[in-house]
Amino acid sequence: MYVVQASDLTKIYDNRYIALNALNLRVEKGSVFGLVGPNGSGKSTTFRILLGLQRPTAGSVSVFGDLMTPERADIRRRIGYLPTNPSFPRHMTPITYLEFVGSILGMDQRQAKVQLARLLRAVDLASAAAQHIHGFSTGMMTRLGLAAALMGDPELLILDEPTSGLDPAGRKQTIELIRELSGRDRTIIIATHILADVERVCTDVGIISQGRVIYAGPMVEMRRLARQGTISVEIEGNTGTFEQQIYALDEIGSIRYERLGSEFRITFLGTEPLAEYAQRVLSLVDRTGVDLLYITSRADEIEEAFLQRLEEDRTRGFLRAAAWASTQAADSDTRPFSALKEVEPPDASISRNPSI
Amino acid sequence: MQAFLAILQYDFGQLSRSWISRIWLALLVVPALFLVVVADSQSELASETMARYITFVLAPISAVAISILSSGAISGESNIISDSILSRSVTRTQYVAAKIISRLGFTLLVYTVVVVPFTYLMFRYAVQDASLSGVALGWVVLASLLTFLAALGISVSVTMTAALPAAMVVLVSILVSGAVLQFLGLPWISSTAVIERLPQTFRNETAVWEQLRVLAVFSLLTIIALASSILIFRRKDL
Repeated sequence: MYVVQASDLTKIYDNRYIALNALNLRVEKGSVFGLVGPNGSGKSTTFRILLGLQRPTAGSVSVFGDLMTPERADIRRRIGYLPTNPSFPRHMTPITYLEFVGSILGMDQRQAKVQLARLLRAVDLASAAAQHIHGFSTGMMTRLGLAAALMGDPELLILDEPTSGLDPAGRKQTIELIRELSGRDRTIIIATHILADVERVCTDVGIISQGRVIYAGPMVEMRRLARQGTISVEIEGNTGTFEQQIYALDEIGSIRYERLGSEFRITFLGTEPLAEYAQRVLSLVDRTGVDLLYITSRADEIEEAFLQRLEEDRTRGFLRAAAWASTQAADSDTRPFSALKEVEPPDASISRNPSI
Repeated sequence: MQAFLAILQYDFGQLSRSWISRIWLALLVVPALFLVVVADSQSELASETMARYITFVLAPISAVAISILSSGAISGESNIISDSILSRSVTRTQYVAAKIISRLGFTLLVYTVVVVPFTYLMFRYAVQDASLSGVALGWVVLASLLTFLAALGISVSVTMTAALPAAMVVLVSILVSGAVLQFLGLPWISSTAVIERLPQTFRNETAVWEQLRVLAVFSLLTIIALASSILIFRRKDL
């Protein structure tokens, strides 16, 4: 069952800026979905439409199976939302603000008090509970936002940059909290550009670029794609012989490597499983008689995969545009003007997203 | 309903804590008490004293205070409105309705708190020339003017994102409206004309239908302003 389903979601601001470009997104119940993308890629706009704060220019979004509109407070009752760098009424204290949120949610006062006390402790704001919000740091605001998002014990939690402005300890604590909150029947959607956070907590990931989801799938699959073909080995001994034979590990043109002192970073461009390539590297170590100090895949692999997907999308965009332009040129010679409208726009024929 | 009441309570609390409200109330009460003392010692006419109070104190000070308070109703919260309030289980209609009731209610509450005791003291200490029905009608007409001003402020507040320019727009509209109404051949609706007629109204010397006409026009304008506020806010991207 999908908790969130967005179809061809398009948002154009003032006929000037395209924030979302026929975005399609599905989030399964119980998953922790990481929405990753560069700044300005449309993550926050997607969330604001999901919450009914903005109306889509075209397309639709349904949450819990119902179409979301600004008047659907009943759906929002089941959603907890943490915006990026949230703002709150400055004259309030965390206690009065969370009480206010509780009363909006229809919680009785005693229930709200119990819940807010628990949450303020969980986000480490208990000591600042009586302070006015106007004196809060960015990190404290984020933590208060997280507490507010959790007041109603929501089924769907939408967190826009939840670790933004937090110090390393606060960030770790937030990640742990998200981990604790995940599972059971709760679905969590996190937008971030900190890929390490996504890797730590998400079960599924979507990459958004220029208002479109260009990849969506399980985190396991992303990890597999990321790690494919990159093996780092550090060796001692006759490293020259080892280096000479690296190209023999696979077909010509299917291997790239880079040497950093005694470390070799070998990238396999073929399609065979990583285990097979690792086996070959170990055989080469054995054959050349060098001492193996360590063998590993690279530490920043998810980031590499993310950047690779963005790069691929950009390249394909150029190819699509070129193909479309050549079609246009050929058609203009052979077809009457009225037939031009049948030509597909550059994006229409593309569907790289395996899960959408 | 719960969300509506929560926002209503929150907004009313904000208004009662506001320095503008406190200053507004003080600026209305102190001259009122002074005029009562003067009217008693100098044997002033009640209708004339009340009219002077309206012209020089109540109307201008209230116009400024109401413009600021009402035009900041929504624009004053533009930075927190979506993050803290409308992303929760609140509909746009509930939010704007709570704001309307709170701001209009607060305006009328302050007005009543000042006007009722002032009228009582005037009837008691000034020279009695006004009729109770005339005074009641006069105060109701003035209340309709101020209510319209608050409604106008709220509708401007819905369309603008900054509170101070919104307040300026409302104040400039009031100042310009007199000239526009003169040009349109409708000077009897202008606030100046309504206020100028108040001594006669207090003495029951004006035709009731004239006052009812003013009342009807301002009520209609208030309804239009409020309805447009709700409609615009429901369609707005936050």
